[in-house]
Amino acid sequence: MNPRRRLPDLQAIEARLAARLGAGLTERAGQLPHDVNERLRAAREQALARAAEVRRTARRPQVAAEPAVVEITRGGAALAALGGGQGHGSARWWERAAAMLPLLVLVCGLLLIQRQAELEQVRAAAEVDVLLLADDLPPDAYSDPGFAEFLREPAP
Amino acid sequence: MASDKELSDFLKSVEKRAFKRTVYAVRSDDAALDIVQEAMIKLAEKYADRPSAEWPLLFQRILSNATMDWFRREKVRNAVIQNLSDFEGADDDGDFDLLEMLNTLDGSLGTESALDTVSRTQILTAVESEVAELPARQREAFLLRYWEEFDVAEAAAVMGCSEGSVKTHCSRAVHALAKALRARGITL
Repeated sequence: MNPRRRLPDLQAIEARLAARLGAGLTERAGQLPHDVNERLRAAREQALARAAEVRRTARRPQVAAEPAVVEITRGGAALAALGGGQGHGSARWWERAAAMLPLLVLVCGLLLIQRQAELEQVRAAAEVDVLLLADDLPPDAYSDPGFAEFLREPAP
Repeated sequence: MASDKELSDFLKSVEKRAFKRTVYAVRSDDAALDIVQEAMIKLAEKYADRPSAEWPLLFQRILSNATMDWFRREKVRNAVIQNLSDFEGADDDGDFDLLEMLNTLDGSLGTESALDTVSRTQILTAVESEVAELPARQREAFLLRYWEEFDVAEAAAVMGCSEGSVKTHCSRAVHALAKALRARGITL
């Protein structure tokens, strides 16, 4: 390298030389064999087909979700009408509330069933107690230490 | 969202250079075609919905990554880099005059009438072969800057290095190319 040459000059020369070499490479790239060009074309078409497929797949769940949204909106509108048909924000609130309604019904149902089951158990236990108390006392009971203890205890 | 036509036009505009660039790196037409195809498909799958202005950088990045993946898969990357770095040792430019080389280039590649088609093809083949012989990073920087016409910041983003490194790689690449071509007796 010539030491007398200044840095900006050198950079400009490098850039010009590089640009010329780049132009040579571009020219060479334009002379690709036919089979390579064909394979590149096939690759491009495959990529485009893939892009189209991805777009289709991305669109599909949206389409499936649309009817549900419509249903909720309808329900919300009906409830909004019952509530006096307030503004847009209010309609949204009703829509959300309407969406929660089935869940609320389910929870209430489960609590009711549980309460019913508990009452059944208490009723069954009471029946057994009634039967035991109404029955004659067997003589063996007096020899049972537990029963003797029960008799000694003062009545509550 | 960009249309299919835009994507097609973009891929068409970059595919040849992408192929050549990959061939310089992997030295196999078949492997290069596979890598370019992989990069195209990845761009189409993941980034087709991005603005088309972002595609050039994204594509070059994907292509670089795909090429590196190919080297990893082939388990020859280390060997290749070692071979190429042998060539990199030639930093003793001495009094080699770049301007002299540029002047000879002016009288050849720049003017069609100075050379016949056969010698021009030979020169271009030599240029191509010397580009392929450059160390990998120098070649990548050179091609991104002067072939893909990226600016320094964009080339640095694609290569994942600093702008200073890109400038250094480019400068070394140009000097190495000029020197190698002159050593071949090419007056271009």
